[in-house]
Amino acid sequence: MDQRLEGLTLLGILLGGVFHAAVLFLVAAGLQLVFGVQKILNLACGSFYALGAYAGVSAVRWALGAGLPAPLFFPVLLAAGLVLALLGPVIERLLRPIYGRDESFQLLLTFALVLMFEDVIRFFWGTAPHQLGNVYLAYGQVRVGGLTVPTYNLVVIGCGAAIAGGMGWFLARTRFGRVLRATAENREMAEAMGIDMTRVYARVFTLGMALGTVGGALVIPATAAVNEMGIDLIVEAFAVVVIGGLGSMRGAFVGALIVGVMKAVAIATWPEVEMLAIYVIVIAVLVLRPAGLFARATA
Amino acid sequence: MTSALLEATDVRKFYGDTCALDGVSLRVSAGEFVSIIGPNGAGKTTLVNVLTGLTPPSSGRVRFKNVDVAGGGPARLARLGMARSFQLVTIFPGLSVADTLAVAVLSRLGRSARPFAALARDTELRAAVEEVAVLFQLGDKLGRRARTLPQGDKKLLDVASAFALHPDVILMDEPTSGVSTADKTAIMETLVRAAERMGIRAIVLVEHDMDIVFGYSDRIVALHQGRVLADATPAAIRADAAVVRTVLGIAATQGRTQPETASNRPPTSEPDSRTPLQQC
Amino acid sequence: MIVRALGVAAAAALLLLPLAGFPYTTTLLLPAFGYAVALLGLNLLFGSTGLLSFGHALFVALGGYTAAALTGRLGVRSLEVVLITAVVIAAVVAVPVGLLCVRYVKIYFGMLTLAFGMLFYSFLYKFYALTGGDEGMRVLRPVLLGQPLAQLDTVAFLTGPFYYYALGVLAVAMVVMRRLVTSPFGLSLRSIRENADKAESLGISVPRHRLAAFVVAAIFGAVGGVLLVVPTGLADPLLAYWTHSGNLVFMLLLGGFEHFLGPVLGAVVFILLQDSVMSVTSYWRFVFGAILAVVVIFFPRGLMGLLDARRTATS
Repeated sequence: MDQRLEGLTLLGILLGGVFHAAVLFLVAAGLQLVFGVQKILNLACGSFYALGAYAGVSAVRWALGAGLPAPLFFPVLLAAGLVLALLGPVIERLLRPIYGRDESFQLLLTFALVLMFEDVIRFFWGTAPHQLGNVYLAYGQVRVGGLTVPTYNLVVIGCGAAIAGGMGWFLARTRFGRVLRATAENREMAEAMGIDMTRVYARVFTLGMALGTVGGALVIPATAAVNEMGIDLIVEAFAVVVIGGLGSMRGAFVGALIVGVMKAVAIATWPEVEMLAIYVIVIAVLVLRPAGLFARATA
Repeated sequence: MTSALLEATDVRKFYGDTCALDGVSLRVSAGEFVSIIGPNGAGKTTLVNVLTGLTPPSSGRVRFKNVDVAGGGPARLARLGMARSFQLVTIFPGLSVADTLAVAVLSRLGRSARPFAALARDTELRAAVEEVAVLFQLGDKLGRRARTLPQGDKKLLDVASAFALHPDVILMDEPTSGVSTADKTAIMETLVRAAERMGIRAIVLVEHDMDIVFGYSDRIVALHQGRVLADATPAAIRADAAVVRTVLGIAATQGRTQPETASNRPPTSEPDSRTPLQQC
Repeated sequence: MIVRALGVAAAAALLLLPLAGFPYTTTLLLPAFGYAVALLGLNLLFGSTGLLSFGHALFVALGGYTAAALTGRLGVRSLEVVLITAVVIAAVVAVPVGLLCVRYVKIYFGMLTLAFGMLFYSFLYKFYALTGGDEGMRVLRPVLLGQPLAQLDTVAFLTGPFYYYALGVLAVAMVVMRRLVTSPFGLSLRSIRENADKAESLGISVPRHRLAAFVVAAIFGAVGGVLLVVPTGLADPLLAYWTHSGNLVFMLLLGGFEHFLGPVLGAVVFILLQDSVMSVTSYWRFVFGAILAVVVIFFPRGLMGLLDARRTATS
């Protein structure tokens, strides 16, 4: 990933890692949410991420072309991500026929989505990379501990942290959040208590998708949107989820930090083993704590 | 000199803070028919899980044929000669009756992992499968897929496959639950006859139906809240006021209803009952 | 039986195709043989044992790169030696990977196998000096049964001797797999798929059987990988990419994952379908995604499931 940070100091590496972690957290959180409540592992979470990135590029280009002042690009990105999530209920309907079926088939249906999204993106945006150039510099740069860092990166980190906090509050304090936790814990009991699963599933899936598309949109100023970005990201998202524990939000947060920083360290020191470094940790976690760091008592 | 086939000594099992078994000791000798009774939540299935190696005890010893087997895993114990049937029907839904029994017979013959032998040409296997099937009145259903069988036959298949291992000891967890009273006797008769035919040396039964318990047992072990309340002959049990009050009184009313907990699940961190048991 | 008749007809068609003079179709079908062998292994893992691997392409790539390393770098051209080496390497890699992965089932197993596949991809992609990076490694024309056949040009070689060689390897693979599936080992695997706890209570060591299935599947995958790279003459990292594993599963599902002929049918249909769709639109992935969705939702037992409504791969 293109960090555009000056210098390879430890702080620079950390900041780069945390930036990547923020985006990774969003995608992983979407994955965890859908898995926790619907027990579906959505292979297309990376595709949502890619979709958000491409849509973000187009949205900002269009907005700037229509005269929008540069500093407002950030809300445009957020809006692009959120608007895409309107597709959530539609896609969820496509997945409905296989809810009761074996997990393998659910996984395969999400793989079908991956294939379809790959070409949807190619259809609308072609195969060349798309990027926003220097728009992110509209927020200037900031000196952090001797380093010059684009303020935008800090904005994204802050945004990720805010969303993490917001998710935590949402799950703990709101009624719908409690419904989600109850369904994740014991679906039959939740249904018996009168909770409408159809609506819950539609909303959860949409929320999960939104997290992915927003993540993709937020990352786009710092990197180029390329065709493989979605299917490339899956591997890291899985690492996050396995390290943190399937279904756990806290796990997504901690896992994302570990993977993000680990990746930044690897890229700075020995790029060839970037993926291996991440997966050494995954394997270590699996051997020592097979259910992940923040395993739920009930799977 | 111990002649016990199966022996549990001072077994304790904790699930977190909950105590499921609190110092249970039990001996089963060759030739015995032992029933384990007790109200729901007493720890019966946990005890069976510990005895059959599915769940490791928190402390205490389990010896089978003088070999330490605590927590050894069901596969190892099955190969040593212990078989069990499950409270909730546990079968291979997609396999035929013949194939189900074949799995057990092959295991007994030590051939489960043979990669190139042809199943279809194994006449010894087929004969053994038919023998077991006939004993359990499944002889005419050999080709049927297990999931298509009526519930009673599924239960029989579950038990039959355990019997097909020709075990020394068989533990059956409520083999007649979910079966109408009229069929219960028929099933028990089938089981006892099959046990004799197959040289099974001891039977351990977990049951709620007191007619069956008193009708077949040499010895009855009454569990209550994780402890052994009494371990004696049926006559002595009937005369034991404490047992009658706590176990028989409760158990009799529960005997006709379905068990409420899916208490035969493999080891998880859940206790085998939803009601918290007392601290030990 | 209709399936038998169709099977014989298909086998005859495959045998006679090169002689009928359609070099394009003949060359097109070559990867199908490699895929079919790889899918036989995947079928053992998924169809028989119930473990869905999203990393089977790891072993296909392993086979492909073994062929490249031996023929291109080490000057070993005998295809028999290449195949045997691929078998050994696949087994050696599959044991530790399998030991870690088969402890988990379902989702976790899928995730882990995907991860291992991508780890290998990452290795192939990044260690340029060793593997040629994204350019891949060349695979030189192998020597079949000691006959260099230098006088044949590439097309003649591929549509002639190599075609029949690959078909022969496939036939052997099918016979071996058939024996495995109808053996006590195969029955034990199916019992584990149906109810692992029950299988265990009947004395079957579940982890050991699963590991064995994993290793066998890996071996078949690697053999398929060798056959796959000879026509193209190139082993490249994308062989190991997780979407390639996904396509393998797609093929298996398309053909019918419980049925013995599913792998061959799935491979052939996928290759032919891909070719026809690609000639109509460049957005073939979208079409295929839609096909996969339809198959998963409406025809999960695949084409063999349609043709053979009651039977499965069991005896």
